[in-house]
Amino acid sequence: MQEELPGGYAGKILRVDLSQNRTWTEAWTAEMCRTCIGGVGLGIKILWDEVPAEVSWDHEDNRLVLATGPLAGLPAWGTGGLTVVTRGALTNGATNTQANGFFGANLKYSGYDAIVLQGRAPEWVYLYIHDDTVELRDASALLGKDTWETQETLEQMLDLTGHQLSVYTSGLAGENQVRFAAIHGDYGHVASKNGCGAVMGNKRLKAVAIVRGSKALRAADPRGLWMAAQEIAEDLQYDPSTRSLYEYGTLPGVSGLSRLGALPIKNYTTNVVPEGVDMSQWTAQGLREGFDHRGHQCNSCGMHHCHAQVLPSGPHQGAIVDEPEYEGWSGAGWAFGCTDPVATSWLNTQVDRACVDVNEFGWLMGWVVECQEKGYVTKEQLGGLTITWGDAEAANALLQMIIRREGFGDVLAEGVKRASETVGGPAAECAIYAMTGNTPRGHDHRARWEEMLDTCTGSGGTLDSGPPVLPTEMGQPARINPFDPDAVARMVGGTRGRRQFEDSLGTCIFTTRTLLSILCRTLSAATGWDFTKDEALLFGRRTAALMRAFNIRCGITPDLERPSKRYGSVPVDGPAQGQDIGAHWEHLLDVWYDMVGYDRQTGKPLPATLEDLGLSHILADLWDAREATHAGT
Amino acid sequence: MKVLRITPQRCTGCMRCEIACSYEQSGVFQPAKSVIRISPFEAHTSYAPYTCTQCDEAWCMVACPVNAITISPVGAKIILNDLCVGCKLCTIACPYGTMFYDPDTAKATKCNLCGGAPACATACPTQAIEYVEAESADWLGSFAAERAETQLAQQA
Repeated sequence: MQEELPGGYAGKILRVDLSQNRTWTEAWTAEMCRTCIGGVGLGIKILWDEVPAEVSWDHEDNRLVLATGPLAGLPAWGTGGLTVVTRGALTNGATNTQANGFFGANLKYSGYDAIVLQGRAPEWVYLYIHDDTVELRDASALLGKDTWETQETLEQMLDLTGHQLSVYTSGLAGENQVRFAAIHGDYGHVASKNGCGAVMGNKRLKAVAIVRGSKALRAADPRGLWMAAQEIAEDLQYDPSTRSLYEYGTLPGVSGLSRLGALPIKNYTTNVVPEGVDMSQWTAQGLREGFDHRGHQCNSCGMHHCHAQVLPSGPHQGAIVDEPEYEGWSGAGWAFGCTDPVATSWLNTQVDRACVDVNEFGWLMGWVVECQEKGYVTKEQLGGLTITWGDAEAANALLQMIIRREGFGDVLAEGVKRASETVGGPAAECAIYAMTGNTPRGHDHRARWEEMLDTCTGSGGTLDSGPPVLPTEMGQPARINPFDPDAVARMVGGTRGRRQFEDSLGTCIFTTRTLLSILCRTLSAATGWDFTKDEALLFGRRTAALMRAFNIRCGITPDLERPSKRYGSVPVDGPAQGQDIGAHWEHLLDVWYDMVGYDRQTGKPLPATLEDLGLSHILADLWDAREATHAGT
Repeated sequence: MKVLRITPQRCTGCMRCEIACSYEQSGVFQPAKSVIRISPFEAHTSYAPYTCTQCDEAWCMVACPVNAITISPVGAKIILNDLCVGCKLCTIACPYGTMFYDPDTAKATKCNLCGGAPACATACPTQAIEYVEAESADWLGSFAAERAETQLAQQA
């Protein structure tokens, strides 16, 4: 008798071998659903099993996993989730990065929980999915097109509009294997980290086009699911800690973080808002109401988060753009000194259309401007271009050079770490990055130590755990002194696992900012499991440890777990002036390693940790018998 | 009379109404079976839900050769599945395109107002769909007249 799958799942994993032009499906087992859940939990299992050390990010045997999860397509808010897992181009290690929109819902309505791509197509193709029709089709008509143009062209070719078609592509940046190329879909949703778009380009896969399928998803307890979904919605709307997120998405970040010294300004050279900048424009209300705007939500979502907006002034007046996230206001703005919301909003969409990570782009632009100002990079090197602080038009000119790898754009296309190392000298000391290649998100982490520690020790291309959500649920204090190294390391270590659980559900991390117990109830209603908070955290920590093990196997060692010189420098002004994380770095690592149960010398999860997490089967891959006996003692 | 009043300007295109409708109609989450549909306008920037307005003329009822469409106690035109022969004449007769044919059941399908508690209105997070008392179900005329002023931008 065929085993019955848990509710919520479409039931099949779609496999695609681009080299062989072959597609097939694999069924899940009920046990695999429970141990992997979906998203990053599924993706890292596939990487661990199928991508050995010698298969680098640009090897055709690398896997590109586009996964959703059991809640995608169901009526909880924000259930269109895409998690991209691959061996990425910036770290040459694991990637865990998310986009939303409608990918997850549309894929599951066609009958699949994930797509696993391998091989490299002989010619450029796009993957067409509509229910049982799965085809690799000629993409020559899409080459050279940006992300929006690719989607528009496919809509015309396939005669589909709106959310009847989801298109996820890596744009021109992916075609040219820019090391920080992203994967973008549904006009404004970006899985951006660790050059996942470069992997897609390396496979000569221009796009994935998913027609909203006609298949049914079932919930084990549909009434329970509706009730849990309603409970999440009410919590997000009415809890004081999430209400601003509900109303404005991440827009409040700019003004809020500027008051903490955590808004990155001009490549970390200052934390003081320049004179003459009208910060009333940069409040959440200012940013939302400063533009004609309209909601542009993800699947089944009631958050007033993603919006489309129209530029009210400037050289691109009237253009329709995607309202930037906080990360966009930062990376396409403040990080390189652009304090004009209209110019930033325009540039942010150019970054999305070009298809690169907006964080890495911001650090790169900030570095270029500072280097040109100080004479480390000349106008001639930039092909005659002069870029000064805040010049969005010049930044876009550089962006276009980067995604075409033209002139100095070819150096910049390698990301800020490699570009600064290539230029060398004093220029190398101005660049913001983590030594592993992980991209810091768009804050000044010198005032947010938790995220710097998390970014430098992260295994997925950026931070692993993120700002804690309800840390008391995990036995941690509600608040800590952000400059107390002991408390910081305990918080980062003690909250590890929640994010990996969220990233496996097929939902957005903003709509999972509710009690873990409610999330577990939602998952249980969908699947029929009796899923508990303890199981969720065990799952998350197991997933995080497997990512770490994968990276160890890839040669990413603990000596790389530190910030670049500028990233770890001391703020010279502003609210965090004089706070020196570097003085505490070794202690931060000592405490963090102790909390998470990894070996401080080798970085490996300790044998006892592997056993506790249900990963005994990988012990022999990581440790030889003699080492294992002594590890952790 | 209670009607489904749709305010397109509030719709963000999240498609939750389609998920809810399909669940109410079929017990599973399958938007392809939804009898409320979201259409995009102005490239990808605007969306509007659309479903049967339960119009007085009821061309579907007039066209049905086997009298399989009747009026429910809450004023919805509903399909009597026992009588429907799946001829699709109603889908041709409806000038609004809100009569559907379900190939799995070989029957016509349409909005039945969920017996007086429309699932789409409950599920809509922005109140773009409301179930309210009204003199007329005809919200389309005024919407079309105002449309030029409310579009997000002139250019697509």
